[in-house]
Formats: sequence, C-alpha cells, structure tokens
Amino acid sequence: MTVTPHATEAAGAFTAVARPPVNKPPRRRSTSTVVLTAVSVIVGLGFVLPAVWIFIGSFRPNLEILTTMSPLSWHLIIPSELTLENYSRLLFDSGFARALLNSFIVCIASVALGLAMSAMAAYALAVFHFPGRNLIFAVIVISFMVPFEAIAIPLAQQFTDWGLGNTMVGLILPGLGNGLAIFNLRQYFLGIPQSYREAAMLDGASEPRILFSLYARLSGPALTNSALLIFLGQWTAFLWPLLIVSDNSLQLAPVALASTFGEHAADYGQNFAGTIVLTLVPAISIFVLQRFFGRLSIESGEK
Amino acid sequence: MASPTVTSEPVAARRRRVGRRHEAFWAVVFLTPAIAALVVLRVVPTVGAIITSVYKAFPGGIIPATYTGAGNYESLFSDPNFVDTILRTLVFNLIINPLQIALALLLAVLFVQRIPLVGAWRTLVFVPVTVPIVGSCIAWGAALNPNGPINALLSALGGNPQPFLTSPDQALACIIVLASWIGIGYWMLFLISGLQAIPEDLYDAAKIDRAGPFRTFFHITIPMLRRPLLFVLVADTVANFVLFVPVQLLTQGGPQGSTTLLMFDAYRTTYGYGSRNLGAAEVVILTLIMIFFVLLQFRLLREEKTPR
Repeated sequence: MTVTPHATEAAGAFTAVARPPVNKPPRRRSTSTVVLTAVSVIVGLGFVLPAVWIFIGSFRPNLEILTTMSPLSWHLIIPSELTLENYSRLLFDSGFARALLNSFIVCIASVALGLAMSAMAAYALAVFHFPGRNLIFAVIVISFMVPFEAIAIPLAQQFTDWGLGNTMVGLILPGLGNGLAIFNLRQYFLGIPQSYREAAMLDGASEPRILFSLYARLSGPALTNSALLIFLGQWTAFLWPLLIVSDNSLQLAPVALASTFGEHAADYGQNFAGTIVLTLVPAISIFVLQRFFGRLSIESGEK
Repeated sequence: MASPTVTSEPVAARRRRVGRRHEAFWAVVFLTPAIAALVVLRVVPTVGAIITSVYKAFPGGIIPATYTGAGNYESLFSDPNFVDTILRTLVFNLIINPLQIALALLLAVLFVQRIPLVGAWRTLVFVPVTVPIVGSCIAWGAALNPNGPINALLSALGGNPQPFLTSPDQALACIIVLASWIGIGYWMLFLISGLQAIPEDLYDAAKIDRAGPFRTFFHITIPMLRRPLLFVLVADTVANFVLFVPVQLLTQGGPQGSTTLLMFDAYRTTYGYGSRNLGAAEVVILTLIMIFFVLLQFRLLREEKTPR
C-alpha cells in the first residue's frame, strides 16, 4: 500500500523531468487558476449585486431608484445624488425607531433569559448522572428543533387566551427555547474536565456557583454561539410578532418594515434604508458579542 | 480508587448515595425552566392543535364545537385545492433543497481551491445571508417588478420582459431563486468546513494515481463529505418546509394559488378564513412532516459530533 504511491510518484516526477517543456505543468495550473478566479469573481459579484443595489439605493432619492431601474445602465448602481433623507424619514417620521427599540428589548431579554435557561439545562445534562438523562436530552433538543413556525399558529391562539397577546412577555417567551443552543452548550460542557468541578466542590462551591462562575467562564465561544442563535432567531422573527401583536406601538422591526412595504409600494428608498438598518444591527452585535465573550475565554485561558 | 477496607467501604457508599441525592436535587432545579418552556411552548400548542383538529365549529360561531374525529382531515384531503397545496409543497421541496445543496457544494468546492483573494469571494456569497429575510423579499420584489432591473437586463440581452411574480408559471420559481440567494451562501459554509476536514493525503494519492478532477470529486470528495451533505440537506428541508415570509409578503399565495405552500395555507385558513379547526389539522400535518425530518437531523447531528 505504501510502496505503490511512492513508486508512481517517482515515476511521475521522472516523466515530468524527462519531457522537454519543463515549465508546462505550472503554466497549465495558472490557466486553470485564471479560469477559477474569473468564475469566483463573477459568482461573488452576482451574489452581492442585489445587496449593493439595496445599500446604494438607501442613500438615493426614491425617484432616482425608480427612474434608473429600467432601461439597464450604469446608473442602476452609480448614484448621481447621495442623501440621508431615507434614513431620517425612516427613523424620525415613521414608527420604525419605536419598532427597533422594541426589537432590542425583546432580543436582549431573550438572550439573557434564554442563555441562563439553556446553560442550566446543558449543565444538568452534561455533568449529573441520573436515569433517563439521554432520553431527556433527546426530547428537549428534538422538541426545540421542530421549527417554531410549525406550531406558531396554535401557540398564538393559546397565548391570546392566556392574555399574552400584545405583551412583551408574549414576544419574548417563544425565543427562549433553542435546541441547538442547548445542544452546543452541553457538547462544550462535556469537554470540561470533571476534576475542575470536583476541585470547586472541595472548596465548598455550590452547583449554581460552579455553573455560573466556573463553567460559564470556560465556555466563552459556546456561549457566544448560543447567544447568537437566540439573538438572530428573535431579531429576524416575523411570523410570531405578526400573530401575537396587533398594537402598532409594540410591533417589532421586521413586521414594521414589511408593513411600510405594503403601504407605499413605491417608497423603495425608505424600504432599502430599513433593510440596511436591520442588516447592520446583527452584524455589529456579532462583533461586540464576540469581543465580549472572546475576552472572557482568553482570560480564563491565561489563568 | 483506593483499596477497599472494611471500614471505608460503607462511608464511601453513603457519601456516594448522598452525592447522588444532591445531584438529583440540582438536576431537577436546573432542568425545570427548560422543561417548563418545552411544555408551554411545544407540548401545549401541539396537543392543543391535535384536539382542535378533531372538533368542528362554524367560523366565529357561538355554537359549541362538536367532536368530528378525522372529519377535518377527511374534508382537507377531499379538497382538490388542499391536495394541490400538499403536492406543490412536496415538489417545491424536491426542487429547492437538492438545487440549493448542489449549488452550495459546487461553490464550496470552488472556494477551497487555491485562488487569489478566495476569502473575499467567499464573503461576497455569504453577504445575502446577513440580510434579514424581510429585506431580501423587499429587494427581490423590487428587482422582479415588471419594470424592474431584471427585466431591464433581459431586454438589454435581447430577451423579452417576463411577468415574474405576477405569472402563475413563474412566481414559485422566483421564490426559489430568492430563497436560494440566501440559502446557498449559508449551507456553503457548512460544506466548506466539511471539505477542509478531508485529509489532504487522499487528494495527493488521487493525484499520484492520475485520477482526473471528476473521478477525484465523485470517488473522494462526495464519499468523504457524505455526512455533512446529508445533514445540510435535511436541515435545509426543515427550513424550507416552513418558508413563509416571501409568500406572505410578495404573492399572498397567488397568482391563482401557484405559490400556496402548506405553511402559508395553514396561516390563511386560520386567520384569513377563520377556520380554526381546519387550520389546526393543517398544523398537525405540517408538524408530523417536520418531526420526521428533525429526527433524521438529530441523528445526523449526533453522529457528526461523536468522535469516531
């Protein structure tokens, strides 16, 4: 097995040297590199072009977006006039700023409560040994992996019956359970040596203390991932706020954006500005979260 | 462990028993919030949907609901429109999932080659994933407008303008394009990390054996990538079965019902037509399909994470 490849390799090297045009293989490789690079550039630009169009459009007067759509010309993405008017109208003259604030509150509360809940469950399922542990783990993760949308309709009716319609609690609760968050955290906790926990117990630490000041400190990356899963789930939620909230002052940003799309079908400038705001907030939050949790895990590593 | 002596053994046993009771106490405390959430957020609505689905009531009526057994399911399946919705949802998934994963795989293979600035091109393909789906729908709704830039591009290339979202023959295809614009970059990332886990010496061996790129792809890449590919395919299916926002925002199930997928139909039956019971039966059908795929996904996820 090991002999044959070496033999063929030697043979290959030999024939390559023996052939007159020595630099032929590199040149062939470089033409294929050129082709692959060209394909990559075209594919990349093709994917990003609609996003670029939205981004540039958000800084153009609405009329200019409409008039440059057709016929095809460079003016489609090269603006002749830049303005912040779309953003100022979106944030000051519509209910969007209020909706953004609501989205922030829901996301932050969901991440805080959801992380605590997931970490506690993951800790119990990773550290303790009790009968039925694997079964409980499977049931929890599988139930929370069934897409929320599938049961959102009956849950919304249930929540309305319980008086949770048009409330922050009603908006936050469904975002707490996240199967992948629990799965990731448990997987990470399983990798933390049991001896750490035993040492902490000898020092008299209680279980909550071990979880929140030992395990949580050692699990920066897993916590960041889980926080992101919960955050993005709530930030992009559309069906649930649509079902549970009818009061405009409590509405979340994606539904508020969609409703302006329906109302003035031609105000693309404002719609695009809303899309950019909704896109940038998670991007910035990811950056901040990673720095925050990343630092924590580095600190614990240096100890 | 220490050598067992006559005196230390009962002490250790008692300590172990106390430890176990201590653990059981904290296990209950730590698991209670998650299990309570599971009951309230998953079990209650599912059981509620099952119960609602076996009763019959007039929409908005004051007359109490009467037990009808499988009556709602029978009337759903005897309605040709609903059968069409189920078939459309299945066909939609049979097209969109293999399509997205095949393209994601092609791009993943492309983006692990030695290409200048490969990370930049990869990032460009990932950009659409970061746009919230509401924003993507607005952008594509504008782009696919009969007077929009895509028709302008078609005209510039010498083609005829197309009706896109306003045509029963093209609307669902438009939604597939929109969803793939988002999905391909996302699933590509999983496949790239799968590709990077394939040992380099397998490719070296293939090169030595003078296997061409196609042979290498089908005899090394695909078999070595089997597990991530399956996982991504199942996870994509789970996501696409409940695809809702593009239908709600762009087509409302039309034109002529051509984009009515099961998830949107359940929503419209419940809220648009006010038939709680029929809507609940649709939710139960959708949930059953979902549970099947999630079980599959969980199996693949566990196999993937356990060290071999």
